Amino acid sequence: MATKMSSPSDVREKIRKKRRELQESLGRVRDDKQALVPSDWDLSKENDHTAVEELPGGEEDPGETLRRSVMAKRMKKKKKLLKEMTVESPPDEEEVTAVQEMREEQDRGDEVESPPARSPRDLPPRPVMRPGSSQSETTMRLRMTEKLRAAKSKAASLLEQESIIEPASRLQSLRDRDTLTRFDRDTDPDLQADEDSSFAARLKFRDAARRAAKDKRAEAGLPTAEEAYNFFTFNFDPEPQQQRRKKKRQSRRREAEEDGEGESGEEDEEGEEEAELEREHEGEEESEARDEDAPLVRDEEEDLFIIDQSAQDFMEVRRAEYIGYSRRLQRERETLFVPSMRPVPASSKLPENVRPRYLEEEGLYVGERPHVCLTNQNILENRILKQAEGRKWFGDDGCIIALPDPIKESSSRPPLFHLEDELDPALQAVYRKALKTKHVNLYIAGMGDPQADYQLDVDVSGLIFSHHPLFSREHVLAARLAQLYDQHLTRQHKNLTLLLTDKLNSLRNTIQNMLELHRGEALSQVTPAEDSEYKHEVRHTRQLRDVEQEKDRALLKSIIRVWKELKALRDFQRFTNTPFKLFIRREGDGEQDEQEFENDIMAEVSELEAEAEEDYQRKMSEYRRQHEEWKSWKRKQKALKKKQKKKRQQEEEEEDEEREEELGEEPEKPEPPEKPDTGDLEEQVREKAARIRRKPGEPVLIPELTVSGPITPNEQCPRAEFARREDVAKRALFIKVLYNDKEVSRTDSRTLNMDFRVHFGQIFNLKIVNWPESIKLQVFESVGSSTSQLTEVCVPVPESSVLTGSAPFEEMEFSSNQRVTFNHEGVGSGVPFSFEADGTNTQTLLTSGKLSCCVSWAVGEDDVPLAPPSSQPGGGMYSGHRQMDAIACIGASGLNDMKKLGKWAAESRLDPNDPNNASIMQLLSVVSSGDVAVPEYFRLEQLQEEFNFLSDEELQRSRRFRLLRLRSQEVPEFRHFKCVPSMEREVSEKVFQDYEKRLKEGEIIDTKEHIDAHRALVAKYLQRVRESVINRFLIAKHHFILSDVVSEDEVPSIGVLGWNLFKLAEPKRPLKPCRKERKKVTAQNLSDGDIKLLVNIVRGYDIPIRRPYASKPPASAKSGRSFTEPFTAPVSSQTPQQGSEWPFGQPLVRPFVEVSFQRSVLQTSTAEGPNPCWNEEIVLPFSAPNGDYSSTSLQSVRDEVFINIFDELLYDVVEDERERGNTIHTRIERHWLGSIKIPFSTIYLQSRIDGTFKVSTPPVLLGYSKERSLGSEGGYDAVRSLSEGTFLSLFITIEPQLVPGDTVREKMKEAKFDSQEGERLLIASEVFEKEASGRFPERPCLTTVIDINGKTVFVTRFIRPLNPPQELLDAFPNSPQETAEVVARYVSLVPSLPDSVSFAGVCDLWSTCDQFLTLLAGDEEEHAVLLCNYFLSMGKRAWLIIGIAIPEGPTAYVLTYEQNRYLIWNPSTGQHYGQYDTFCPLQTIGCLISSDNVWFNIQPYAAPVRMSFDVSKPNLWKAFFSRAFPDPGLSSVQPEGLVYRHTDRAVAVELQDRIEKVLREKIMEWRPRHPTRWNRYCISTLRQFLPKLELSGGREVAEEHRLELQSLLGEYRISGFPLHLPFSEIRPIIEAVHSTGVHKVEAPNVEFALAVYVHPYPGNVLSVWVYIASLVSAH
Amino acid sequence: MAELHIIGQIIGATGFPQKSLFCKWGVHAGGAWRLLSGLKEGQTQVDIPQTGDMAYWSHPIDLHYTTKGLQGWPKLHLQVWHQDSFGRCQLYGYGYIHVPSSPGQHRLQCVTWRPLGSWQDQLAEMFVGGGPQLRSSDLIYSGADRYRLHTVGMGTVELELCVILRHFDRYGVES
Repeated sequence: MATKMSSPSDVREKIRKKRRELQESLGRVRDDKQALVPSDWDLSKENDHTAVEELPGGEEDPGETLRRSVMAKRMKKKKKLLKEMTVESPPDEEEVTAVQEMREEQDRGDEVESPPARSPRDLPPRPVMRPGSSQSETTMRLRMTEKLRAAKSKAASLLEQESIIEPASRLQSLRDRDTLTRFDRDTDPDLQADEDSSFAARLKFRDAARRAAKDKRAEAGLPTAEEAYNFFTFNFDPEPQQQRRKKKRQSRRREAEEDGEGESGEEDEEGEEEAELEREHEGEEESEARDEDAPLVRDEEEDLFIIDQSAQDFMEVRRAEYIGYSRRLQRERETLFVPSMRPVPASSKLPENVRPRYLEEEGLYVGERPHVCLTNQNILENRILKQAEGRKWFGDDGCIIALPDPIKESSSRPPLFHLEDELDPALQAVYRKALKTKHVNLYIAGMGDPQADYQLDVDVSGLIFSHHPLFSREHVLAARLAQLYDQHLTRQHKNLTLLLTDKLNSLRNTIQNMLELHRGEALSQVTPAEDSEYKHEVRHTRQLRDVEQEKDRALLKSIIRVWKELKALRDFQRFTNTPFKLFIRREGDGEQDEQEFENDIMAEVSELEAEAEEDYQRKMSEYRRQHEEWKSWKRKQKALKKKQKKKRQQEEEEEDEEREEELGEEPEKPEPPEKPDTGDLEEQVREKAARIRRKPGEPVLIPELTVSGPITPNEQCPRAEFARREDVAKRALFIKVLYNDKEVSRTDSRTLNMDFRVHFGQIFNLKIVNWPESIKLQVFESVGSSTSQLTEVCVPVPESSVLTGSAPFEEMEFSSNQRVTFNHEGVGSGVPFSFEADGTNTQTLLTSGKLSCCVSWAVGEDDVPLAPPSSQPGGGMYSGHRQMDAIACIGASGLNDMKKLGKWAAESRLDPNDPNNASIMQLLSVVSSGDVAVPEYFRLEQLQEEFNFLSDEELQRSRRFRLLRLRSQEVPEFRHFKCVPSMEREVSEKVFQDYEKRLKEGEIIDTKEHIDAHRALVAKYLQRVRESVINRFLIAKHHFILSDVVSEDEVPSIGVLGWNLFKLAEPKRPLKPCRKERKKVTAQNLSDGDIKLLVNIVRGYDIPIRRPYASKPPASAKSGRSFTEPFTAPVSSQTPQQGSEWPFGQPLVRPFVEVSFQRSVLQTSTAEGPNPCWNEEIVLPFSAPNGDYSSTSLQSVRDEVFINIFDELLYDVVEDERERGNTIHTRIERHWLGSIKIPFSTIYLQSRIDGTFKVSTPPVLLGYSKERSLGSEGGYDAVRSLSEGTFLSLFITIEPQLVPGDTVREKMKEAKFDSQEGERLLIASEVFEKEASGRFPERPCLTTVIDINGKTVFVTRFIRPLNPPQELLDAFPNSPQETAEVVARYVSLVPSLPDSVSFAGVCDLWSTCDQFLTLLAGDEEEHAVLLCNYFLSMGKRAWLIIGIAIPEGPTAYVLTYEQNRYLIWNPSTGQHYGQYDTFCPLQTIGCLISSDNVWFNIQPYAAPVRMSFDVSKPNLWKAFFSRAFPDPGLSSVQPEGLVYRHTDRAVAVELQDRIEKVLREKIMEWRPRHPTRWNRYCISTLRQFLPKLELSGGREVAEEHRLELQSLLGEYRISGFPLHLPFSEIRPIIEAVHSTGVHKVEAPNVEFALAVYVHPYPGNVLSVWVYIASLVSAH
Repeated sequence: MAELHIIGQIIGATGFPQKSLFCKWGVHAGGAWRLLSGLKEGQTQVDIPQTGDMAYWSHPIDLHYTTKGLQGWPKLHLQVWHQDSFGRCQLYGYGYIHVPSSPGQHRLQCVTWRPLGSWQDQLAEMFVGGGPQLRSSDLIYSGADRYRLHTVGMGTVELELCVILRHFDRYGVES
């Protein structure tokens, strides 16, 4: 303890000093007054103190008082010391008193200690001791208070003095002053602020403490007087307080030692506690001191620096405040209190010197305290101890006072035993059995009356054992006897023997009667069949009777035998068990009996004789027959033998023998049947009769069994038998009644009688709900308490007519296979036993017996049977199935068995008149009548027919449904039906007329439409091909690619954005605006009127000019260009003829353009001159066929846009010259100059058509001539005038722009089609095409095409030299150029039919040349291929060009190389262009195809003018087959040669007439308001002229012809022209004629001329010329 | 001449282990029924929902039937397929649902199931995808011998069908 006084104690020292100071300053007054204000901890101590002062008066708990007194003393001492110290003069007396007190305390401690062996429980002694000590204490205290008062007064005076002195040291820093004061008061003032000094002081102090300790230790017992004196008088030097504290501590330690506890920790704590107190005081003091200081400093500062103040004066730079870690910890320790976790010594919890008292040990009940964690408990205790009155929380045993654990381990709630008594009766629940619902399948169908109850009465009357394990041997025999007797009785009851005997007798009588009746008429009339039948019957009956008689006799014998056995047994065992007695009665008289017997025997014998005779006769006849056979055989044999004998002489014997055998086996010689021995018969009959029948004269034996016999009483029986009887008596039997396998009731238990009969006689009434399925009776046998089931008897469910009262008892036999053995007389069951003494002849019997019972339906009160209706035969067995059997539901159940039933009825020869069979017969008649015929077929959907709403026919008749179905099947006629009426009557039958007509006329060819039969067939074929192809491509069509489904706008890239930025700088309204791309619109959500066709007619070039009448045509006017012109350098030989010749000063020409599309016609304004400029936009509405705007539908639109150029002529028709001044009366005439046809599909697919097009003008245009512009010398015009013809600049587009439907070809690339090409080739071609389209997307590239069979074919296979018709080659043998032209013309004459139209929306199909010529229809590809092949065969170098042309779009042309020039041929028109021809319609060349390779154009330019056609240059043309991928040598799909049929001239003439006739009618039809006159002269002239045109190709003859006409028809103004068309159908011809508008001339005196010429070419190619002219008389 | 219109949509599917799903559907009707117009089978797009559990298809169904009997009322059979990130399709569930017989709008939920297969199948399915499928998809709606199948329940397909009946009352069918 002493060693621990290190730095903490040092600190404590300081603190203590401060506290003292504080008390000097503050506590003084309080002490004086003995104020009891508990505002401070300090004060509370004083409070304590005062309490101690009051103590003597009251008797308190001794320990508590003791403790308090000690504390009080200590306090007092402390205060005293303080006072002394402040005075700075050690008051000796006081010191002494203090020490004395100390001493006393010590003593008292010793006193307490003195009784050494006192157990803690020995409480009584303590109170004895106490009064003394307290008394002494009180006296001491009184003294001390006196002294205290004195000291206080002294101290007060001193304080006054000090306050006067103090101000001198005020200016010193707080700390300094602190230490100063402290050390001042302490021993050595020199050692100020020196830690060492304090240390030294402490050492001293420690020494003193040690000494004190020694002293104490020395004082084991009571101090001697001397010691006591020394103690009180000894002058303790400088540190009296410390010393005392030490002592006090030690004393306390002593206390602790008594308790046997270590308390070092406690000591520390106490020290700490004190230190803390002091610290608090220090804090207070400090603050006070500062308060005192502050004003001083301020005052001084003001004095010093008041003169000038600067900003710096108010600021101060200080160090960052930092509190060291250890210091901070220290500070924290000052403010915080952390209770220790260590256990608190008991001594600190209890008042001093009080031992813990354990109530438990004293035998008092102490509840279990709630469990608290020990550490927590320690913390709590430590904390409480620190509080004021902390100890009051502790009980006598040193633990915290606590209530016992409130939680009970088990429930203390009392169980509710008397619930029912207390419960309100109204609230009581009643237990009810689970109720069954009445509506379950198996229940008897309610019949609408759920209350209907059915009752089944089960009457169990009794039980008779025929064998039982407990049977004795006698019983066995008795039972057998009884059984036999029962049999006998039943037999006697039936008396079959007598019955049969009677029957036999009657039969015999009948036969005899018959014989007597027919005796006179001989036997002839008696049918032998009847006779034999009777005989047969007699025999049969006799046999039956014999059997019965035998049985009777055997039974009687066995009864007697058993009875004898029984008697023997009874004698043997010398007791009787059974009461059976058999009496045999004898009856009958001998005489009559014998007579009957004899008669019977005789009758039987005679019958048998007859039978035997009959049998003999039959056998004899048989024998005779056989004998005859045998005889004949013998005879043959003999004859054969004779022959053989003859042969034998020649042949050897061996053979002979063989021969003999060959004849076959010798038939057995028949034995003649024995004659039946009648005497023997009689013997037999008598023997039999003796065996089975009573002997004559023998009395009739009638056994009678009685149960009257005496039974030996138990006492007289041997032991074994007695045991058996005992056992029997123990047995009891009862019967359980089971209904539907559920026990419903059981009989009472009845004991087993000696006779093994049990009588129950109980009736059970079963109220039933379920259908009875089974009724069972189970027989149980109980021995004592154990019960075993003997057997189970099933009772049939009674018919509903079986009612209680009338129902007879039934005896149900039962048996059980249990094995039972006994050690007494009982024979057991299932075990062998024997009646013989030697154990032989064993037999085994099983428990068996008869149960007598009766099951019937009960009868209700009002005699109503409580049985379920019998309409449900079979009960519940079928009820379940019936509901599942669909057919049964409609009452046709069991039909399947009808046939069998009928069959059975026929076989069994049912008597139809028997009333028993009536129902069957009725049923059979129904079956045979066929009303309920069983179907011979199997139906998949049961009852479909039965439940149909209506028949198929009715459904089929519905027009509305038909319309709906046809619409959904997309039948062309109905595909575009928007609305189908909702009511049947609104759909008229007319809707289907077209459709039905089409279906009907599917096969009929309309020759009228086609004129030419061949072409009709071709059209038919084409149609079929189209259908098959469409079907084939349906798959491809349904193969959707992403772009089909998702329309996705391209995200603008940076480049596009950049361009758009540039566009901002463009002029808003440029002088030459460019057309911009418009947004495309998908065609789905469009309707009529949304789409418009825009035709912008810009200007025209080289329009023919009028030619003046009657003037001599200049010779030079004729076209100077010869055919060879394109090949040679063009020479403009034409001299312009100027308009000076125009008589009326009229302009040369006043052209306007008329655009007609889908029957809507619009025209531009009229311009003037041969090169007019209209620049007009014409808007034409477009409506798709049937309002279907899908892309497939739009693609198949066949309409064409006709753009016609007319010349408007004005004629003055004013007849009166006088009116000329004020009226204008002119007639407008228009003359057709030329036309352009553009198919809509082209516009649709290309979305816009822009360019200058050549107007197709007729070769001869009467009244017009070409004007050569003056400026033809100019550079540009010079180039343009190179080509002849009229041109028109157009821009055509569709508004809004439609997205052209992808041809299936696009998808074909996705969906592969079967091909005969090699895999490698296909892949290569795919790569080639992909590369090409990647580099030049606008250049078409073609490597593979689809042929007419839908197979992919490599394109080069189509190129092969093919011979043109020889006729054409022969036409110009000298001029290859002309031949080429003729060939091209021939090709162009094959009618053109675009694939996109014929195979709408399908794809581009390529047909071979022979197919093409057979079909006589094809598009540009076919034409080009044919032309190319012709050129190749003609020895030219030719290629197929795949490119883009105007207006066709992607198309195929032919390129030839001749005379160092490349020529481009348009196969559809037959025209050719030079490479550098500006007006060549071909705009872009994609690739060239020859028979062995494909070249793709990789030049920078694709226009033919700027290209090189040298395919050998790999940097210009990329070849498909290269060194890397050589040509595998593809064979051609084309035929080796073409065979041309010579076209019959007569056919052409006929066609010509027909066309002419049709056209004439049409023109007259078109002119309904005017008469149409035909100028015959003109017609004949024209007709002559047309063949010449054909021959010349419409070039050279024009002028001559006009001259001719002019001369002939001088007085007429003629306007007219020849039209040239390839022939396919008549309709296009009519259209063409109509579009010229010749018929529109309405001059009153107009005349018309029409001539048609058809020129046949080989292969049925026809060239049609139509010359039409209008003639107006000039005057 | 009773008519039945079925107009509605396959809204989507929930509760499947993976979310990128599509659905093949078809309508099966008895022999007495005749389709007047509309497609009776089809396939939806693949929906890969970014959020939520439900894959939405909103696939339209528009059928017009006429019938001469009530037997074989149309039923809708569905196959839900899952398309994984490699573009492989894998069966995820079969289900069928009767077209409601009462007129009006119906919101239906069709639960689906999938054959389980042996443990080898399941193992293979876990690693390489695929899985057992019915040989004949008739088994979806014809109940024969289904008890032999070992199946596992999958998610539900939601449908919305509007049913319009016409002239059924003429034949004694009250709706």
